[in-house]
Amino acid sequence: MHRIRVIKDRLFTFYVVITSALALIPSLHLISVIILRGVEVLSEAGIKFLVDLPPTPLSTQVGGIAPSLLGTFMLTAIALPTTTLIAIFAAVMNNEFPNNPISRILDVTLRSFASIPTIVVSMTVYLLVVIPMGGYSAIASSIALAIIALPYAYTIISAALGQVPHTYREAAYALGMSRWMMIYKVIIPIARRMLAGGILITMARIMGETAALIFTAGRFRTGLTLSPNQPVDAIPLLIFDYALTPYPVMHKVAWGAALILLLIYLITFLSLKVLVKEVKL
Amino acid sequence: MIRIKSNQSFFTVSRHDRNLFLLLLPTAVVVVGLLLITFLLISSRASEAVKTYGLSLYVTSAWDPERERYGLFVPLAGTLVTSAIAALTALLLSLSLSIVVSEFLRGAVRNFLSTIIEFMSGLPTVIYALWGVQYAAPVIRDYVMLPLHKYLGFIPLFACEPLSGYSVLSAGLVIGISIVPYVTSLICESYMLVPTAYREACLGIGATRYETTKILLGLCRPAVIAAVVLGLARAMGETTIAAALVGNSMTISYCVFMPSYTVSALIAAQYGNAQLYMYAESVLYSAALAILILALVLSLTGLTLLSKWRSKVLA
Repeated sequence: MHRIRVIKDRLFTFYVVITSALALIPSLHLISVIILRGVEVLSEAGIKFLVDLPPTPLSTQVGGIAPSLLGTFMLTAIALPTTTLIAIFAAVMNNEFPNNPISRILDVTLRSFASIPTIVVSMTVYLLVVIPMGGYSAIASSIALAIIALPYAYTIISAALGQVPHTYREAAYALGMSRWMMIYKVIIPIARRMLAGGILITMARIMGETAALIFTAGRFRTGLTLSPNQPVDAIPLLIFDYALTPYPVMHKVAWGAALILLLIYLITFLSLKVLVKEVKL
Repeated sequence: MIRIKSNQSFFTVSRHDRNLFLLLLPTAVVVVGLLLITFLLISSRASEAVKTYGLSLYVTSAWDPERERYGLFVPLAGTLVTSAIAALTALLLSLSLSIVVSEFLRGAVRNFLSTIIEFMSGLPTVIYALWGVQYAAPVIRDYVMLPLHKYLGFIPLFACEPLSGYSVLSAGLVIGISIVPYVTSLICESYMLVPTAYREACLGIGATRYETTKILLGLCRPAVIAAVVLGLARAMGETTIAAALVGNSMTISYCVFMPSYTVSALIAAQYGNAQLYMYAESVLYSAALAILILALVLSLTGLTLLSKWRSKVLA
């Protein structure tokens, strides 16, 4: 009897270790391939990879991803503040008036946003923004990105505000602060680290999103523009498009762009880890 | 302890509080309005196709805009099968990974591994799509599809000759790999919530590690189911990996080695030109409506299961 139990335990350990290795190997392979192929491409293209235009399908030069890089930063610069502001307002509402029916409806609505497939958001923004504006634009893309990032931003910011101990509230009220002063001067400053962490996670989400841009961005890759009502491009969209082309030079650009995207994400993640010890994605 | 009540009804709170509430109200109106508009817009656009084609839109299979003939059976079935494969893969791998993280490892090693998992759960999915096209698809064909076909070819699922790496199975496996970190962190979070007393009780009666894990996992079975349901909802909406790997073909087949379509891959491939035809756009909206409702129902189910289980455990 004892032997069987020990054998069972050994078999179980063996199975669990093997399947966990199976779970980790693909992702580790993915990351190492991106680094290897990406470094190869970047060393071939040099620093020009960041400032040149993408190649034509039959070109021998790798070129660069300047329009997509600029586009990603521009879209993040518009979408991140928008979504953060809405998320903070919604989180304050849910935190301060938790039993009010309107804040409850708001809470459920924001949580359901997370399950809307991103391509469906893209279609909706196409109808609501792209068609009325008469074309693809950075504004339309940023709106789509802001909608997609909103539930993430809200969940984390809500948790950040909610974990401020109740005694601080009481202290603020005892000093005669109004509720708004208390939120502004006490709750938000105490939760600031976690708030900043939440904003970083939201930023990572915005920068990595592809499907939301398919019908909103317009894939402008032949020049550089900073005007928000013109078509733009973004790094994930470029990777997606180029991965599906049959041209080797475009695959090279896709790998280089994937390395840039991975580095941007890594920097965001590391700053998050320095800032906050325990935050769930 | 004196608690400042924030649960008074709206009309009895002070003037300051009321002003704050009114200040925040527009946010609520905009957000709730946005969800309603999304639903209304998609259903109104979808209704045209549903009225014209009726039920046959969902049970037949065709994509022929030139002759205005459409049927969404293949993309709908493809979405279900792909996300089922993804959820199964994720369950199989995540369960072991969460046991290793929360049961086998301690201290710095555990922290390191959970940081890696956390890092991976935020990786942009387009990176998985690129890797899937260039590395995973050929490997899956040579080392998963061909052996399965050779030795288990009598099962209808594996009956057809695998032609390329682009198939329902590849899309499902790669989506599954991409949601492993998400499902793992959900399972780990719940596993850690099980009170220590149960573990102590197990060890106290001399249970082996296998027996302890089995008992503890049994206690969080609803949470594991919830994690898989949430993973399923996420897999259903996945676009980039599906569009890159599913093969984009309207073939009806039992076989998971055949190229097929998912709803999101169909939308990504066809929505751009859909305005040129009479009903194509509306048909795509009715497909979108179907997965929107499915994903919404699944994730609400998952979240409800999870919060019910948590309040039971923490009580």
